[in-house]
Amino acid sequence: MEKIKKSKMKANALQLKKSMVVLSSMVEKNIKNQYRRSVLGIVWTVLNPLLNMIVMAFVFSSIFGRADIEMDYPVYVLSGTIVFTLMRVSTSESLTCMVDNYDLLTKTRVPYAVFPVSHTFSSTVNFGFSLIALIIVMLVRIPNGAEFHWTLFMIVFPWLPSLMLFSLGLSFILSSIYVRFRDIKHIYSVFLTLWTYLTPIFYTLSTLNLSETSLKIMNLNPMLHYLNYFRSLIMGVVPSLTEHLICYGVGIFVFAIGLLIFNLSKKKFILYI
Amino acid sequence: MADLIHLTDSADDKSQAAQYVKTGDFELDEDILIDVNDVGMRFRMPTEKIDNMKEYFIKLIKGKLKYRNFHVLDGINLQVRRGESLALIGRNGAGKSTLLRIIAGIIEPTAGFVRTRGNMAPLLKLGAGFDSNATGKENIFLNGAMLGFSKREMQKKYDSIVEFSELKDFMNVPIKNYSSGMLTRLGFSIAVDIHPDILLIDEILAVGDAPFQKKCAEKIDSLRKEGTTFIVVSHSMEQVKRLCQRAVYLKNGKIIQYGTAQEVADRYLKECNEV
Repeated sequence: MEKIKKSKMKANALQLKKSMVVLSSMVEKNIKNQYRRSVLGIVWTVLNPLLNMIVMAFVFSSIFGRADIEMDYPVYVLSGTIVFTLMRVSTSESLTCMVDNYDLLTKTRVPYAVFPVSHTFSSTVNFGFSLIALIIVMLVRIPNGAEFHWTLFMIVFPWLPSLMLFSLGLSFILSSIYVRFRDIKHIYSVFLTLWTYLTPIFYTLSTLNLSETSLKIMNLNPMLHYLNYFRSLIMGVVPSLTEHLICYGVGIFVFAIGLLIFNLSKKKFILYI
Repeated sequence: MADLIHLTDSADDKSQAAQYVKTGDFELDEDILIDVNDVGMRFRMPTEKIDNMKEYFIKLIKGKLKYRNFHVLDGINLQVRRGESLALIGRNGAGKSTLLRIIAGIIEPTAGFVRTRGNMAPLLKLGAGFDSNATGKENIFLNGAMLGFSKREMQKKYDSIVEFSELKDFMNVPIKNYSSGMLTRLGFSIAVDIHPDILLIDEILAVGDAPFQKKCAEKIDSLRKEGTTFIVVSHSMEQVKRLCQRAVYLKNGKIIQYGTAQEVADRYLKECNEV
């Protein structure tokens, strides 16, 4: 009996090692494929959010820029964009991942969860590059009032894991549904557009002059809380305990639901892909 | 080694087949690498493909969601020991590939279970696990990862893989530009170089040219001498007789004969000629 237990443990350890190796190579593959055959290659991961920010700042600064935003406007826009992009890329790439990797699913022995997880990780790595862009912008904008605070380090922990949990949970849910109903791809893309505009990425809630009720509804958007948390870290403010609880509570809840749905439906994936 | 039991022509007796292909207790006998227990696979096929919500709900409400049960495999019992080479033969749709995929752990059977021991390399499709945009070199590492080997471990194997595949000049070319023969070579070279305990091969060896096929056969022979276990799905009875000791004849999802490769292949050929 002892022997059997040992060999089972060995098998599990091997399986775990396999998953980790596959995961890291998938993440590498995702990132490499993004900018394959482009001249600038990996530089685009920094350049892309930077250029996007410049466009957004250029377009919106005259509309919202003079409003009561405490932060320098380019920094405000860029921080909003990169946080939302982390969630958006992770979920929209994961959405089709089960179907895209049909060959791997049906012909090799890879744990299914590797695919959504790898997309969340690779978009987190991209987020890391975008942080470089953010720091560049902050350095440039020092004369305009951008400041550096020690709280920036809190982005890595505890902020980042909470958003990763949230994105991963959502990725699990979406990729499970997509296997069965391909409509979700189109529904989600419309929903993402709506979500982008409902999240204060380039405006502040106070500029909207919302009534009490609509403000409450806006506050139900989890991305708003992740974003507020992130921005207060840039401003040098440690968020309140409530804000921590909201971010982690939502993150863990969505992750648990996602994992549950994924595990319940994964047995049938192969029949519907 | 187990006695070879040759089921006679009254092989419809399923329980008899079940008895004889079991040779020991998987939990206690470390020599048994694959243990297939009463495995059945049933697909519930909708009579028409529905993949959007509108249709699904309309059909659901109308009560028109109809399914047809389709038994691909039924009551399969099988054990394979270390160093054994087994061929799965049968006509198209007999369930050979499904059984191989269940053994590989890619799909879960709807009935029964499979237990395996050791490291397994499934070679079920040309270039599965390859990324067509990546170069040959990158794919060796990627494929190695799928089989559970880290970059450092693959680095050690890299040279011998390239040498065996004879694709040295093409290592920096994206594999979408490879020919199918080149893909097989690369896939096979990786799979044999990791020295798996179990190698599952699904009809892919027929692709390479004659010299490479010969090289593959030699490699398989040497692996077998080292104690690698094989399960091969093949339609070439010549290949079956040459590579395998034993064979299983599958028909409509059931094992109807288990015996030496020679016998089973002969019976299969005979039945094919009768049709």
